Amino acid sequence: MSDRDDTAYALETRALTKRFGPKLALRHLNLRIERGGVHALVGSNGAGKSTLFRIVLGLLEPSVGESWVLGHPSRELDPQTRGRIGLVTEEHTLPGWMRVGALTTMQRSIYPRWCQATFDEVLGHFRVGADQRVKQLSRGERAGLSLALALAQRPDVLILDEPTLGLDVVAKQAVLECLLFAGERDDCTLVYCSHQMDEIERIADHLTILESGELVSTGSPQDFWDRIGCWTLEGFPVPPVATAVPGLLQWRTVDDVEQIVVFDQGAGFGQWLESQGAIGARSTPIGFDRAVNAFLSRHHVTPEMRRVA
Amino acid sequence: MIQIATGDARPIFQQIVDGLRLKIATGELGAGTRLPSVRGLAMQLTINPNTVARAYTQLAEEGLIVSQKGVGVFVAERRQRLSDAERRRRLRDATERFVHAVVSLGFSPEEILDHLSEELELLETAHDGESHVRPR
Repeated sequence: MSDRDDTAYALETRALTKRFGPKLALRHLNLRIERGGVHALVGSNGAGKSTLFRIVLGLLEPSVGESWVLGHPSRELDPQTRGRIGLVTEEHTLPGWMRVGALTTMQRSIYPRWCQATFDEVLGHFRVGADQRVKQLSRGERAGLSLALALAQRPDVLILDEPTLGLDVVAKQAVLECLLFAGERDDCTLVYCSHQMDEIERIADHLTILESGELVSTGSPQDFWDRIGCWTLEGFPVPPVATAVPGLLQWRTVDDVEQIVVFDQGAGFGQWLESQGAIGARSTPIGFDRAVNAFLSRHHVTPEMRRVA
Repeated sequence: MIQIATGDARPIFQQIVDGLRLKIATGELGAGTRLPSVRGLAMQLTINPNTVARAYTQLAEEGLIVSQKGVGVFVAERRQRLSDAERRRRLRDATERFVHAVVSLGFSPEEILDHLSEELELLETAHDGESHVRPR
């Protein structure tokens, strides 16, 4: 297939499938990440995020399907296009024996669009000196260095795979600040993969949820949040069977109060509860983190959901 | 300036709108006060600047703030704000929403009115006081 319009999508996949032996890591994934903004990619462990990144970057062959970065096929990325893609992973893999200064000089010579001011600005948040060896750096400092290296190359798309994993509050804050504000990154598309819902609530313009290698939701975080409803009640005369509860995501009993989280039910769920004779039912506000977690854990069966007729 | 919390039942955008609306209503932020830029407030709160922009747009639509291109964002003069008819319409809407929300809670109208008066009094005292935290 020929190159696409360079400007349309930062990442795109079509029918992307990856099989590891009997296991399907990606199932017929059709994903389009438009250019610009912060795109959060969320999913439980094993949802296929890392496999997706490896295929998209041309590091792994898909079993079936195609993918593109900035309109260029992943299978044949030329060095010039590669230079426009940044990657920061949780391991922050860097050569431990090198000094920060030497590593910087090397990177600067590789990337033609290198911006020293951005590099200095980002690294300034982490207090890393040029004469330090990489292996002497703390986890937070290593994260800062890999972020500085990635942002200084002024990528058009920057993929971040759990960049704040294992970092303390201060380093986490610095990472987010740099991502949002360092340098001139207005045109850079951030693809942000994380389990930290507080971070996603703070920074994401778009939210995509992967589950078992499939795309299950994509849109603005607010649109997703609006589709989740939470209801509390004192009980039912006859508790319904879980499978009969429309759109059920989560059902727990906390301090004798039943708490039911549902998807795509709107205010109509109140009427359904009424029809079941629910006692003291009312709609209760729910935070973004709980909304996403309820959605992700919807196949997790609580004792309340195990009831049979 | 204002504080936001993740995990709150209100979106961050709404927390900013509510926070600034309250400060303007109590007079803590008087007419003509300069507000942080979109980028500035986003940096202070470590949030996406688009979220601040959205909150500012809503406040501007409500006539509470004005943005002067190249100069900054300011708290609007009172006269620039909503028309009387619009203010009455919004009061009616808000009252209706409030009544719907509390009608099923089993309080008497007197209890509800007492609570409402208490909240309004707190707003007035908050204007002068340092702390805006409601005593529990």
